[in-house]
Amino acid sequence: MKWMQFLTPVKSKNFNETKQMISDHDPDEITILDVRQPGEYKDSHIPGAVLIPLAELSDRAAELDPEKPTLVY
Amino acid sequence: MGGRSRVAAQMLAGKGFKQVYNVSGGIKAWKSKTAVGPQTSGMDLFQGPETAKEFLVIAYSLEQGLQEFYLEMAGKARNDAVKDLFHKLADIEVKHKDQVFERYQGMVDPEISRERFESMVTVSALEGGLTTKQYLDQFDPDLSVETEVVSMAMSIEAQALDLYQRVAGQVTDPDALNVLQQIAKEEQQHLERLGKLMDTL
Repeated sequence: MKWMQFLTPVKSKNFNETKQMISDHDPDEITILDVRQPGEYKDSHIPGAVLIPLAELSDRAAELDPEKPTLVY
Repeated sequence: MGGRSRVAAQMLAGKGFKQVYNVSGGIKAWKSKTAVGPQTSGMDLFQGPETAKEFLVIAYSLEQGLQEFYLEMAGKARNDAVKDLFHKLADIEVKHKDQVFERYQGMVDPEISRERFESMVTVSALEGGLTTKQYLDQFDPDLSVETEVVSMAMSIEAQALDLYQRVAGQVTDPDALNVLQQIAKEEQQHLERLGKLMDTL
């Protein structure tokens, strides 16, 4: 079996770029989204991150503001 | 982390989020303060299916890939709960393959045999595809760590869900829409089950 390259492009930010972006914005101007499981979030997360586990994202995306820059991890 | 954030970023981009970024290396990079983990290079060739025919061929190869992934991982898993769930999920992907094939007969070619359809899937995938091994290498999960394997499975399921939801938004035929929504719903249930499994590991 060969996989189709069905993945569409997504922009990435590395650690330094992410950190810069967070410090350049007020906390209410930017969304930091954690898509891991609640237990993983509880274990450790980026300060200010919102938790929406991947399985819930397609139903709960409306809770987020599509106009704000959004960092996903 | 098994590519979950990358797929999540892709889902949001498809829902109209204008500036969405995948934090490469995820929380691991944050903890170790260095960029680690898979890069996204070479993954941007696919433009999205243009027609029902193209879509169904992709969907079929995706379901087949999921089935193979689950069977391969079930063989390697040491945890009985992981093994058991992966076998069950593989069985459901077989059902999805049947449904996708029936849709193809219904929408594109009522006369086509299963064999001929499957050969088309193979040819189409070979043109720009990755082997399962190459695909895994792109994400580079540590397959000896069960959370990484489950995370990987969640990424692929979310990818499938995203594909079905995007296409469902463009389909007008009520029967086709019904099937797409049903499959999308089942992939979402898989995601939930995998999430629950992740919580136990």
